Amino acid sequence: MRIIVCIKQVPGTNEVKIDPATNTIIRENVPAIINPFDTYAIEEAVRIKERTEAEVYGLSMGIPAASEMLREAISLGIDKGILMTDRKFAGADTLATSYALSKGIEKIGEFDLIICGKQATDGDTAQVGPSLAGALGIAYATDISKIIKVLHDKMYCLKITDDGYEEIEIRLPALITVVKEINMPRLPSIKSMRTAKNSKIEILTSADINADENRLGLKGSPTQVRKTFVPVHEVNNEMIEGTFEEKAGRLSEILLKLRMEVK
Amino acid sequence: MDKNTFIKMYGEYLRDESRQVGNAESIVFPKSEYEIISSVKEMSRKNIQITTQGARTGLAASAVPYGGHIINLSKMNKVIGARYDESGDRFFITVQPGVLLSELRKYTANKSFNTDGWDEKSINALKHMEKNQWFYSTDPTETSASMGGMASCNASGAKSYRYGSAREHINGLRVVLADGDVLDIKRGRHIAGEDGKFHLVTEGGRRIEGKLPNYKMPDVKKNTSGYYNKPKMDMIDLFIGSDGTLGIISEIEIELNKTQKSNWGITIFMPDEDKAVDLVRAIREEITIDNINLKLNPSAIEFFSHNALCMLKEQQKTNAAFSNIQEIKDSYHTAVYVETESDSDDEVWAEVEKLGDVINGLGGNEDETWVAYNPSNLEKLHYFRHACPECVNMQIDNIKKTDSRITKLGTDMSVPDNKLKDVMKMYNEGIEENNLTAVIFGHIGNNHLHVNIIPQNISEYEKGKELFLTWSEKIAAMGGAVSAEHGVGKLKAPFLKKMYGEEEINEMRKLKKIFDPAQIFNRGTIFEFEEGEK
Repeated sequence: MRIIVCIKQVPGTNEVKIDPATNTIIRENVPAIINPFDTYAIEEAVRIKERTEAEVYGLSMGIPAASEMLREAISLGIDKGILMTDRKFAGADTLATSYALSKGIEKIGEFDLIICGKQATDGDTAQVGPSLAGALGIAYATDISKIIKVLHDKMYCLKITDDGYEEIEIRLPALITVVKEINMPRLPSIKSMRTAKNSKIEILTSADINADENRLGLKGSPTQVRKTFVPVHEVNNEMIEGTFEEKAGRLSEILLKLRMEVK
Repeated sequence: MDKNTFIKMYGEYLRDESRQVGNAESIVFPKSEYEIISSVKEMSRKNIQITTQGARTGLAASAVPYGGHIINLSKMNKVIGARYDESGDRFFITVQPGVLLSELRKYTANKSFNTDGWDEKSINALKHMEKNQWFYSTDPTETSASMGGMASCNASGAKSYRYGSAREHINGLRVVLADGDVLDIKRGRHIAGEDGKFHLVTEGGRRIEGKLPNYKMPDVKKNTSGYYNKPKMDMIDLFIGSDGTLGIISEIEIELNKTQKSNWGITIFMPDEDKAVDLVRAIREEITIDNINLKLNPSAIEFFSHNALCMLKEQQKTNAAFSNIQEIKDSYHTAVYVETESDSDDEVWAEVEKLGDVINGLGGNEDETWVAYNPSNLEKLHYFRHACPECVNMQIDNIKKTDSRITKLGTDMSVPDNKLKDVMKMYNEGIEENNLTAVIFGHIGNNHLHVNIIPQNISEYEKGKELFLTWSEKIAAMGGAVSAEHGVGKLKAPFLKKMYGEEEINEMRKLKKIFDPAQIFNRGTIFEFEEGEK
């Protein structure tokens, strides 16, 4: 079995600052880390590998320095790091990124499962996973919180939804995106870090993957960012205070009102 | 206010993290030094004893009142100034005693202070903070500790292996004395004579003269056992670690250290305790394994006994609060945690590779390690480390429900380097002979381990207390200290008596009376209050 984990390099999460003039992320002097959601993807792939003797590839599209991040992924248990790096990839939106990744994966050849983090903490779109599955023409499921069983042609997972969990069966090859509930990523050991330091990262350029240049990078990106904002979640909390009678009275009032609304 | 109303309104102020519960008649929460002075003057006039409190995270019950009045400093929580010393490229900030360590860390990391009321010099000094990243090195794992509390017990914590205790980073103190007068002491300005004679002048112009005691402090790296005492000592050091018995600290000037770029933490699991201790000795460069010249330059060397790991493993399964710690595998027996800092990751990595060879050479496995080299992973290892005392506290709280007399039973003793193996043997034998359950963790780099007995009933609790007294005597015989970082407080006063004799304790009492003649401050702390004394 071969698993491919898509990994993105993002600015250290605690230190994201937005340039007020351009509305873009300031990346200068900010240490880069593995996208936190991708660390769960790596861990889950490595766990499957430990159960089934699969091989795990880490794939990233980014600047040459991202090879260090792939080395970190190797220290966390993946077998091989592949970096797609080329000026022609630069400025890609989610569509161009998915296209480029799909071509990279075609170049890798056979695979059974692709695991992505739910989203990247810098762009926060959660689009690349599903869009990549579309480009490859394979089944996908998002927000997976547990892998129940992996068989050679299908797998069973739990998907987290707004109302709870759904148990799903998905045929392989497939792509899943994972949420942080799925596992607790391990830390590297001295031994695994030694292995990582001595590993070679495979480099793929746009020429290597036979991509249509018009669909890469800025050229292949129809997205334009007009405005960014944080979505508002309206949750109103009310602390009920008073005597037992008062509290019970207020509580029943609220519950009755809710019941009316549902009706 | 009658007793029950007081307990109902202020019950939480009758206890601290030691799980001791005391009693009091009144409490104030001053917001300024002036308000401290007013309260002290009033109590002095009425001869009512005063217990001073910070964040009540202390483990030796210093902040637990045994009657009288409480002065709680939690509302004096402002950073009030900064100073830059150009000649030495040193940076200082002045804090009120109620500032919490977690707050201070946040302010310094973000270089963001509320400068309301600061003088111009302070505001200008902040500009010098820009070109470097700074931090306060005293690192007790409890970050909700207050700066005043940390100065009062001379706290140290994990990083003290490299940075020493709070004492080394305190440069100035303001102390309100029993008569309401104030001592303003800056390091380097008030040195005792060769003969131990000293004098200080208060802001009110009163001259305080005295002679330091004759007892000799133990020759260990960490010690908070009674008053600091050395010929030619800086008199500021007397007040640091004095557990609030000489006066009330109203202002502290601390020095910050520069943060180095690379900060690594490594947890190493060894196959048994002996090999773990040998690993510590190799990291301390006392022994060499396979001719490897290890130069890790650690800032912290910590230890987790087999039982401590078992306890954490158990909690991990059953308690959601601990589900976030890394998976502790069954093959993991005893753990050593080491932290190191440098300006280059490559430099650290070169030493970490050597550390791997040393681990393998000792019969361990370099694969059974957790390496953290970025802040978020380092935080995971810190969380793991702090889970140990938290777990113990939770267990004690549960047992306490069955018998309220049972409180936390943790040691805080340190010995010289060459006694590390002896002291480990002493702890293990004592626990085994008395058939007790205990977990051992803490600052093994400084031979300073916290043995925590988990008594299942009152008879085991009593046995544990008795065992601690026996250990105090043996620790003293090894040239060690009965209190290394938590302060003596009230809980460890009997141990101090075992470490020093009656005569030495009397010398301490005499020294206290020079500053606090009626002994109104923190009675029963460090040594017992003798009834009938004035």
